[in-house]
Amino acid sequence: MIVAEHLTKRFGAFLAVDNVSFHIAKGEIFGLLGPNAAGKTTAMRMLCGLYHPDGGRVTIDGETVQRAKPRFGYVSQFFGQYEELSVWENLRFYASLYGVNDTARLETMMERYALEPYRTRHAGALSGGVKRRLALACALAHDPDVLFLDEPTAGIDPVTRKQLWDDFYALASEGKTLFVTTHYMEEAQRCHRIAIIDRGRLIAEGAPDTLHTLLGDVRVYAVATGYNPALVDAAKQDGAIRLVNQFGSELRLTCDAATPREHIASLIAPFAASAEIRDTLPNLEDVFMALTTKEHA
Amino acid sequence: MIGAMIKKELIQLWRDPRLVALIVVMPVIFLVLFGLALKLEPTNVKMAYCDQDRSFFSNLIKTGLWSDGYFQLYEVNGSDQIVEEIRSGRAKAGMYIDANFSNALSENAQPHVTFYVDGTMPSLTTAMKYNSSAATDEGVTNDMYFLDEDAPPTVIAKDPFVMDTVVLFNPDEKETWFFLPGIVGVLIMQIALILTGITVVREREKQTLEQLLVTPIGKAAFVFGKLIPYIVIAFIDFYLILGLGWLLFELPAPASHLYLALLAMVYVAVMISLGLLISLLSQTQQQAMFIAIFIIVPSILLSGFIFPLEALPDYIRPLSYAIPFTYFVEIIRGLLIKHTHIVDLWHAYAALGGFAVLFIVLSMLKFRRSLL
Repeated sequence: MIVAEHLTKRFGAFLAVDNVSFHIAKGEIFGLLGPNAAGKTTAMRMLCGLYHPDGGRVTIDGETVQRAKPRFGYVSQFFGQYEELSVWENLRFYASLYGVNDTARLETMMERYALEPYRTRHAGALSGGVKRRLALACALAHDPDVLFLDEPTAGIDPVTRKQLWDDFYALASEGKTLFVTTHYMEEAQRCHRIAIIDRGRLIAEGAPDTLHTLLGDVRVYAVATGYNPALVDAAKQDGAIRLVNQFGSELRLTCDAATPREHIASLIAPFAASAEIRDTLPNLEDVFMALTTKEHA
Repeated sequence: MIGAMIKKELIQLWRDPRLVALIVVMPVIFLVLFGLALKLEPTNVKMAYCDQDRSFFSNLIKTGLWSDGYFQLYEVNGSDQIVEEIRSGRAKAGMYIDANFSNALSENAQPHVTFYVDGTMPSLTTAMKYNSSAATDEGVTNDMYFLDEDAPPTVIAKDPFVMDTVVLFNPDEKETWFFLPGIVGVLIMQIALILTGITVVREREKQTLEQLLVTPIGKAAFVFGKLIPYIVIAFIDFYLILGLGWLLFELPAPASHLYLALLAMVYVAVMISLGLLISLLSQTQQQAMFIAIFIIVPSILLSGFIFPLEALPDYIRPLSYAIPFTYFVEIIRGLLIKHTHIVDLWHAYAALGGFAVLFIVLSMLKFRRSLL
């Protein structure tokens, strides 16, 4: 459905997106995961025609982006609707830009995104969650085949986030293709397929739960201990440990596969002697951290 | 606390190099430009001249007017034509000497000559009246006294002839007639440029432009969708302002209401589309404001609205003709005060129409369906 080939974008001397290619199938939820300033938004803006690529090309169902515009919707990471217009006026405005004047359809959108209570409210006066739902309704009013979502749940509470994701799955099951950028691991985990972008380059691509194979032969030990700067420092100095990641009350240590449990036990002994050590699989966060930090090193 | 605030403001300003350039460069350019351009003393003012007498004496008057370098004379037939030349704008002044001039002069009958002056341009009217004295000064009149030593003494009038000054179109030299028609244009220019000047930049700053550009909206739909509502609003505003002028300051009625409406339409279209172009060229609302001021100030000063075009140095004159407001001033004075024939105004209408088309085309070219 979406084909990106060798996409490249420069801002002056800064190479924001460097030779990025991917194919996204119809009905797929594709996540572009990366740290801040990795090039996620730039890549997405090229996909929806907001930026002209300096190199490479994008096709959506075989058409150029400009020609495919009626067939996709886009939700920016900022609130892009008109603050002075009411919820209903915004929805009607965006729909009519796509030639959709079917009031019944718009009423369904109002209902689907629970906007009815805010119908006459000025969009500027809405809370963050409602603004996001309005943006979604506006982007979907013309029933597009493809939906681009730039950090769709940034700054959104967990309950609303779950509701939004339920909706994304529903949209995908209707056959729509979703392209999502995010830096939330939890959100990436929900995608059918993800690609990790770092400093403009794609460094990994695959289903979220298969990506750990990219790290090669590693073992992850989870130590049940809170944050201790001295311990973290000591772990970082250790030659066998590739990555140190404090995750709440868990210190996750990604090590070479040959590293025995005793090695870890002796490392943590001076700091948290009685802490439980658990042998586990690398999660997406470990993969993400390992891949992106390796790149930076 | 105040120190931190001051520092922050200065840093913010400094980080907008375009704005800094505008703040620094604008006053420098304006100072030099206005220093060179703004003079109240016109030269080469076109004067329609009709000498029915064609004598040595009437020629003295002509030479007197020529030699100052102030008036540029050209011949027409009859006093009616002088008035029409001034009405059309081809001449700003006129001189009529009737066929009886030298006869009356030789009989010491103190003949009259008529000096016509366009009364629609305050500074020019005053300056022309002052400079018309070239026709009556001693160099001219010295040779007009008939002193025959053998003849018995006669009483000779102090002045051999009398020059009557006729102020055309605005005989009472009403100041409101001078300025108010142009003021309507200035107000519309301000409203239009500021109103439309921010319309795209605001969308850019508020991020709504991004959401708009992903839609299939076309160039024409965007440009005309932005232009039309503001053109309608500014058009209504035009008549509101002019209506008040009629009501409060007794402005005269136009020669043609239809052509006045046409002027309003075209002028408003020029200003609104110029505003849109400014908005498309600016990155921030502040920049748009500064560019608008950059256009408004020279428009007022170099359009012939206050300072006569005839007083501008030749090398700056082309700049006046690059200012849409120049043509507005010419047309509105023609319609309201002088009742100029439309034939003599059509070139100014064409110029305004040309500006409207130019600005709309440039806006279409400048509008991109992408951010970068």
